[in-house]
Amino acid sequence: MSSRTLRVDWPACRARGLCAELLPEVVELDEWGYPVVDGEVTPDLLREAREAVRMCPQLALRLV
Amino acid sequence: MSGPPIAICEDPEVHEGLALLAGVAGGPSLAAHRAAYGEPSAPELGALLRLLDDVGLRGRGGAAFPFATKLRAAATQPGRPVVVVNLSEGEPASSKDSALARTQPHLVLDGAVLTARALGARQVHVVLPGDRPLTVAAMEAAMAERRDQKVRLVRHEAAPRFVAGQARAVLELMAGRPNLPVTAWTPEAVSGHKRQPTLLSNAETWAHVGHLLLTGPPRGLGTDDEPGTTLLTVRLPGERVAVREVEYGSPLAALLPEGDAPVLLGGFHGTWVTARTARRLTISVPGMRAAGCSLGAGLVLAVEDCPVVWTQRLTRYLAGQSAGRCGPCRNGLPALADAIEAIDDGGSVGRVQELSGLVERRGACAHPDGTVRLVRSLLAAYPDEVDRHGAGHCAWARPHAVRRVRSAAS
Repeated sequence: MSSRTLRVDWPACRARGLCAELLPEVVELDEWGYPVVDGEVTPDLLREAREAVRMCPQLALRLV
Repeated sequence: MSGPPIAICEDPEVHEGLALLAGVAGGPSLAAHRAAYGEPSAPELGALLRLLDDVGLRGRGGAAFPFATKLRAAATQPGRPVVVVNLSEGEPASSKDSALARTQPHLVLDGAVLTARALGARQVHVVLPGDRPLTVAAMEAAMAERRDQKVRLVRHEAAPRFVAGQARAVLELMAGRPNLPVTAWTPEAVSGHKRQPTLLSNAETWAHVGHLLLTGPPRGLGTDDEPGTTLLTVRLPGERVAVREVEYGSPLAALLPEGDAPVLLGGFHGTWVTARTARRLTISVPGMRAAGCSLGAGLVLAVEDCPVVWTQRLTRYLAGQSAGRCGPCRNGLPALADAIEAIDDGGSVGRVQELSGLVERRGACAHPDGTVRLVRSLLAAYPDEVDRHGAGHCAWARPHAVRRVRSAAS
């Protein structure tokens, strides 16, 4: 299984920060609280990444 | 929100050219256009694609994306394609699309209408710039003259702001929503207006398509690798704004003034180059890319004042032009403008670089990336001048007069 990429729908994102809590391996928050996606979602992180996509209060994340 | 640091010019001096701007003296009417070029016939899609592959036509809105790739994508998708002519050039200092609208509007419309016929599209959407009334009037007059069979021209007017011309913002406008960028999950050639494949290009691109279809490949113009011409808006100190058609492969130096005036290439989303570097450059998409700059939206701006001061003003303006929808752009661009201004007061260049990294590729449109390109190009082209500002000096002003220069310039 190959790696996936987490993409942010920037106009939708409101810096709630849940993604960084659920997927700290890939997502950090910048100084304003918006996600900085660093690196790909490797297969071992796919479950957590899907959870982050599902739980985002703004539905602003996608796995592509 | 303050106006752009350079006023929009809809009435540039349009120089007679070798292809698109040949015969501008004949006037913009449909009758003059048909007298010069004859009656066009709708091309077959395969023939159009071969023609485009031969000349390697690239988009002229700024990204220089191969046009044939977009056309092929739109042609092979299910659904009825839609064609869009984007005249809402967001770059305030660029005048080439206005020049085309006012001198050769039917070249633009022929390109779009004939491509629409080849694609089986029934609508050509013409998106006009809300902050350029003369351009709007010229295109409306041209559209009213036409009786295109099988293709309907649909008029839209974009909001008067920098990001209104971004592709996804234009599609939002066409859908009746606010004229602001949204996230593109797929290219618009695959899924655009009403989820149909949408071929959106800027006015100059369509004029080149029209010229190709009316006259065939540009023989003897440009180079073997890059045939043809491109339009540039040339703004030099103390001279009237000019729109010139130049051959690919020709030296940029021919357009530049004597002396060491800094040159901004491409647009406000473009790159600074020193006069010395600029004089060595050739008008070429891959050539400029290799030199770390780009023709962008075709602006060549030579300035008399300090490029640091210019970048401070431009960045502040661009920060104000953010649609404010994407967090990193809404927060990052004003912070970046602060950081560049703070250099004069001893602020760190590292902070400018850090903020540049924080906004790049973190938005729905090209606005943050374009602003970062401008800022980084200043640091690359004028590192000594940036340092000088940090020490309270400016090579373009008396020592210790930086702040005075800045307030006088704004």
